[in-house]
This record gives sequence, structure tokens and C-alpha cells, in this order.
Amino acid sequence: MMLKAIVAGLLAFMTLPTVVVIAVSVNPTAILSFPPSGFSLRWYENALTYPQFQRAAVNSLWVTVGSVALALPIGTAAALALERGRLRLPTLWATLLLSPLVVPGVAAGLGFLILAASLGMIRSRAVLIAAHVALVLPFVVRSVWVSVRNLDATLERAAASLGATPWRTFRRVTLPLLRPGLFAALLFAVVVSVNEFVVSLFISNRVTEILPVAMYSYVVNYTDPTIAAMSTLFITATFAVVWVADRFVGLGRVFLHHR
Amino acid sequence: MVKRSIVLMLLLLSAVAPAAEAQNALVVSAWGGNWKDSLEKVVAKAFTAKTGIPVEFEVGGTIDRLAKARVAKGNPLVDVTFTTSHVGRLYISDGLIQPLDMSKIPNAKELAREAIRSEYHIGVWAYVYTVVYRPDLVKEDITKWSDLWKPSLKGKIAMPDFDPSHIITIAALMEGGNETTWEKGQKKLLELKPQIAAFFATDAQSQDLMKTGQAPVQVMLSVNAYHLIDQGIAVKLVQPTDFPGVIGIDTMTVMTGTKKAEAAYQFINMALAKDIQAELVKSLKASPTVIGTPVPANLQGQPGIFVSPAQWKEKAYIINDEVRAKNLPAWREWFTSNIVKK
Amino acid sequence: MKLLLAPALTVIALFAVALGCLLQYSVLTFIPGSLQTGGFTLENFKNVLAPQYLGVIWDTVWLSAATTALTLMAAYPVAYALARTDSSRVRSAILVLTLAPFFTGAIVRTYAWILVLGNAVITWPIPMLFTERGVLVGLVHFSMPTMILMLAAGISHIDPVYERAAASLGARPARVFWRVTLPLSLPGIVSGSLIVFAWTLSAYPTPALLGGGKVQMIATVVKDRGLDSFNWPGAAAFALLALAMTIVLLAGVGRAGTRAA
Repeated sequence: MMLKAIVAGLLAFMTLPTVVVIAVSVNPTAILSFPPSGFSLRWYENALTYPQFQRAAVNSLWVTVGSVALALPIGTAAALALERGRLRLPTLWATLLLSPLVVPGVAAGLGFLILAASLGMIRSRAVLIAAHVALVLPFVVRSVWVSVRNLDATLERAAASLGATPWRTFRRVTLPLLRPGLFAALLFAVVVSVNEFVVSLFISNRVTEILPVAMYSYVVNYTDPTIAAMSTLFITATFAVVWVADRFVGLGRVFLHHR
Repeated sequence: MVKRSIVLMLLLLSAVAPAAEAQNALVVSAWGGNWKDSLEKVVAKAFTAKTGIPVEFEVGGTIDRLAKARVAKGNPLVDVTFTTSHVGRLYISDGLIQPLDMSKIPNAKELAREAIRSEYHIGVWAYVYTVVYRPDLVKEDITKWSDLWKPSLKGKIAMPDFDPSHIITIAALMEGGNETTWEKGQKKLLELKPQIAAFFATDAQSQDLMKTGQAPVQVMLSVNAYHLIDQGIAVKLVQPTDFPGVIGIDTMTVMTGTKKAEAAYQFINMALAKDIQAELVKSLKASPTVIGTPVPANLQGQPGIFVSPAQWKEKAYIINDEVRAKNLPAWREWFTSNIVKK
Repeated sequence: MKLLLAPALTVIALFAVALGCLLQYSVLTFIPGSLQTGGFTLENFKNVLAPQYLGVIWDTVWLSAATTALTLMAAYPVAYALARTDSSRVRSAILVLTLAPFFTGAIVRTYAWILVLGNAVITWPIPMLFTERGVLVGLVHFSMPTMILMLAAGISHIDPVYERAAASLGARPARVFWRVTLPLSLPGIVSGSLIVFAWTLSAYPTPALLGGGKVQMIATVVKDRGLDSFNWPGAAAFALLALAMTIVLLAGVGRAGTRAA
């Protein structure tokens, strides 16, 4: 059917650049050619031993772990409050919590830069982590909220009637039931934070910069395929994560409506 | 639960602690790509081996780094800055660099007179801006500057958009003027406009344009052209027969207010040692500034590689630094509005 | 219970303060060569409307519109297949191929296009890298996952009963599509288009890397002035402009959503 051909063609268009990147990453010379003129892992070696990338990878680890560790509890608490807090203006609060999604990256980045400068904190990692928490929070709230909405309160009431304290109920009943939403939240939060570029470009410097910013600097200064190697590593990791997520959570259920 | 909150506290604390940086590192501001690689391999490695002080590089374009230096005035984020000779004058007029204590740079005794640009900045290497092209994509020979105006090269040329000094000076020379009477060359520059396919803002972009063939003829730094050849792209550098290539001299400076002046002087001194200079010549394919530096026979006579600074005046055109620094803003503005804009 | 909202609101408050700094600086005078600022002024906003910058705004708007239109056309077939396919393998395949690029990050995706547009695969007859058309291709590719997911979500809400009814009344597949499916998927089209349009307005890495400095969009101007020239007041004015345009557009999404309900 023609539709199948068109769809296949479009999916090929979406995947083509990925294929090219992987092919170029194993090219033995610095000229970016496709198909590659040979096979060499020297660019992978270059990427993995480049001190700036190593430092940026460590920075990414700190920033992502720090911001996700903060955003998960904060977001979960917020989701519970939104659903069960009997708030007077629930849509207003929801919109506020989701608002960082609306703000252009350059606006948030410049704003945080000016804020950091006025606090004298330009070179600290704290502002970077705080910004990541704000950027990641909407994803966490949305994912957990879906699970909270589907939570059957009777189970929690049963636990309470059996003598469990509110905290014990939360830990032993509620949290496990929220697992799908928490898992999705963790997934989104990590992916968003690891790949965050524009805001981080503004508020990090040579010492604190995270991986995407370091890669950007490299692309601007060098023209060899080292970034192709880095990209391939990123792509492989991401494909694996997404595939696993689809197997376990069934991404179709997250994005599509089922009757 | 208690364990989890402790972990959280630790993370918060580590976040608040200022970013860990090798506190005693010497920070050098220079151009990126092959420039930084050479400095790192040749000078920084020897420096760290001798003094034990690690070296970090802050990379960027010439003008970008000037802007950053202006903003950090008095409390510099870098200790040593490599910049071009004429932009060095802008650093001086803004009070960003300190007069050099030559007693701390013993190797400068053998520095050629021409390389001492002022009491604030001294030359470390030199090169030329000339015409560079890909013979495989441009079927005819290019032998002089005026060839750039040939109709057969329409839409094939690229040149820098951040510093038009060279082409403005060459156009002026063609019309019997020079960098001071540069208006004489304006008509010729307007005639060049249709020849230009693209402008590049960075060394990397210029290399991309050459690699992809989008602009196979460029007004380019000789060092960058040699770097392309090293990467396997066969380009040819022209020794123009009508007017010589325009010389570029890169200089070293020490920032005002740096807390690592001692280490800074040691670094600069190291870069002027004869064996280090010889290595820089080989690594960058540039000209040395220290008299008596050995230049390999296969490099001698190649465009941009002079055996000694005395040759600069004979074989290249030196744009007067002060005139260049003074005129640069006016040049950039005229060039951007008349040539770069569509 | 309401207290649980407090930490999240603190984070949002911090975010709001950052935006407040933007507002504050946009009305201060820029002193070239330093981060100090002068007094109150509306000069920055006047500069935003200066002819050369008006040109940038116009370029950004039309480039975003072109991107949205092309992305819509390219994404619809894929979205339709995703929503309507019965095979879970096909659905998984499309989802993985759609979501994976989405998650690999802006630099990786843009760099891939530097390679393809830079004659690495085929030699283009007309220059693609460092031109507006190159940026357009990169932007469309960037926006496709978002558009596919939003369209698919919208299409999956349409009860196939309508399409079957139309077909049983004698309408041919093309007619069913134009008269039944497409109109019913309008909410998805509108919200997807508005979101892609809004995000493209503030796109940074794609025009910066693929345009090589030649293609100016609002976000690249903010970055140039903010990080390279250190004209924070001037950059702030532009950033606020981008923010205002985005809010207006996304308010439209909310409206489209409620109208569909």
C-alpha cells in the first residue's frame, strides 16, 4: 500500500542522520566521508580520553543525579497534593508547575545567568542543579500525576483501618502502587537533564559544563569525527533505554489513547 | 529513610560547594582546535613537567576572548592571553594586560626586534594570510591576489567576516593606497562581492567550507591551510606574485591582576626557548620569532614559514599595528554593511 | 496535604525570580564592555524593533511557519500509521524510531545534519550547510517526533466507527480521509502545530550550528548578545519577546484543547 511506502520513507528520513553519524564515527581519517573509507576506533579513543569530555561527563553525573534526586520527591509530593489536596484552584497550580516547559531555553538561561551573577554564584554548581530541577519538575509531576489519578484509595484506607500509620501506608502501599508513574518520571527526568543544552550553555563555564555543552564547544572548534563517536555512544545508550522502557512500560500506553 | 535523607543532604552540600577546580592551574587563553592542541602538546606539557603546575586552556575567537576579558577586568579569569598583535593594542588601551617584566623572560634576549610589538606584548609565532584553494575543484592556477576577481571564480570564494583587514589592505594596495588610505580600495572590494560564496566566523567553519567544497577558494591563514593538508585535504597555498601575503603575528600577554604572575612569566619564557620554538614551528607550520631557531629544510620557503623575522618585511606585507587597531571598528562596520550583507 | 505543594512551588518561585531578573535587566541601560548597567530605559525594546532586528524576527517567524507546515505534512502519515496499526510490533518500531532521536539530545541530532548537509553522503547541487534551507531541514527533522506523537494521540481518539460508516456509505478511502479523519483530527493538528511553532521560535542549537552564523533567529541573537557581547539588557529584551510570543501561542493550544472537548 502506498501509505506503507510513504511511512517507511519518512521513518528512513528520520533515521538517516543516525546511520550517517555511526558510519562516520568509524572513518579512519579526519575527512567526514560516507561510506567510510575504512574502519577505525581512533575517534572513540579520542572521545573517551579527551580530558574536557571526561570532566564534563562527571559534571553531568553530579548534575543529573542531584537534580533528579531532588525533583522526584518534590514532584511526587506535588502530584499527590494536586490530586488529593482539595485545592481551590487546581488548574492554576497545575499550570504553574508545568510552566517551565513554556519558557524558551534562552530566556530561562539568561535569567538564571543574571540571577547567579547578582548572587555572586556564577561559578557554582548549585545554580546549575537548581535550574535542572526546575526544568525536570514538569515531567516528573505529569508522569506521577497520571499514576496518582489511577490510584485506588480503598487500598490505602484498608491499610489504615488495619492500624498502619500514614507514613507506613505511604511507604508500603502508596509508593509501590505509584511505581509505573515513578519509573516514567525517573526516565524522563534523567533523559531531559542529561541532554539539557541551552540553559546549561548560559550558566555553566569551562569547569562546570555538562556533556552537551562540552560537545557543542568541540563542534565549534574542531572538524574531526570525534563528536560522531560521542554521538554514537549517546545514541546506543538511548536506543537501549527506550527499547527497555517500551518492553516494560509499553510506551504506547503512555502516549496513545486506548479504547 | 534516614539514609536517603543523608544522601540528599550530601548532594545538596556538594552542589553548594563551589565547582572544584585545580586551584593552582595556570589558565591560558588561546584559539581552539589545532592551535590549542599544539600549545598543549609542545609548551604546556614541557611547562608542567618542569614546574609541576597544570595548565588549563580557555578557548575562543580573538574578539570573543577580548569581550570576556573586558567583563572580567581587574579580576581576570585567565592568566596568560595569546592574541593577535593588533588586537593586543585593544587589550592595552583597556588596561587588561600588564607591562612585561623582561627580566623574568630571559629567553626573550634572543627574540627578534620585530617580534617585540610593545612593552606589553611579544610575538611567539607568525604566519601569513594568503589565497588557498583546492586544485581538484578549481581547474585553473591561481597565482596572484587579483585572480580572486576573475569571473571564473564567481561564487567560489570564502573569507573571514570577523576581520577584513587583509582583503581591505590588499584592495587598497591594488589602487595605489594602503591601510591608512583604505578608502581607495572600496570600489575594488564592491567588485569582489559577487565572487564571494560565504563568510566564515571561525577556523572550524572555514575548514568545513573547504572540506565540503562549498567554497574551494579562501583567504586563509597559512597555519590552517597546512592543518587541512595534514587531515588529508589537498589544498594549495599561493605565493601571490602581485602583492605579498599579509603577515599575522600572534603574541603573548600577562593579564593585569592575575594571581599567578610568576607561573605566567615562566610559561611565556618557555614558549620562547629555542627547542620549544622549533617544535612549535614543526607542529603549527608557522614562523618562529626567536633568532636562530632551526627551521626544517622541507618547510623553508613555504608560504608563511620564514626562517627569521627579518624576512617578514622582505617577503610579506606588514600592516601597521596601530593603524590596524584604530581602523578595525570602522573596517568591520563598512565591510559588514557593504560586503557581508546581501 | 497542601503543604506537599510547597517544595514544588519554591522551585517554581526560583524559576520566576530568574525570569524577573530578565524583566529587570531589559529596562536597564547597557554599558558596552562591562556587566554594570545604567539607569531605567526603554532603549532596549526600541532596539528590538530596529530594522535589522525586525528582519531577524520576521525571518524567525516565517522559518518557524515553514517548519511547522512541512513537519505537519511529513508527520501525519507516520502518526496515522502509529495510531491505526493493529500490529504491536509495528507500533513499537515506530515508537522506538520516533522517540529515540527525541531523547538523544540537540547536539547529537544537529551534528548528524552537519554531516549529511555537508556533502558527507552526497554532494548537493546547491549549498545546504550554512544556509537557510539547511536550517529548515534540520528544524523539520527536529520537530517530527513531537508532531508525530501529538497527532497520533489526537488520531487515536477518533472512533474508527465514523470512518467505517463513511466507507460503508460508499465513500472511497481518499474521501473518507479528507471528509472524516482529517477534520476530526483537527485538535491534534492545531495543538501539535502550535507547539512545534512555539518551540521552533526559540530554537537555538539547530540554527546556530547548521546556519554557521548566517541564519539569525531570535534565540541566536539572545545568545550572541548575552554570552558574546555581554549586552545583558539587550539580550533580555529579546528573550522577553521570545517568551511573550511563546505564551501567546501556547495559550492558543489551551483554547484549541477546550474547544475539542
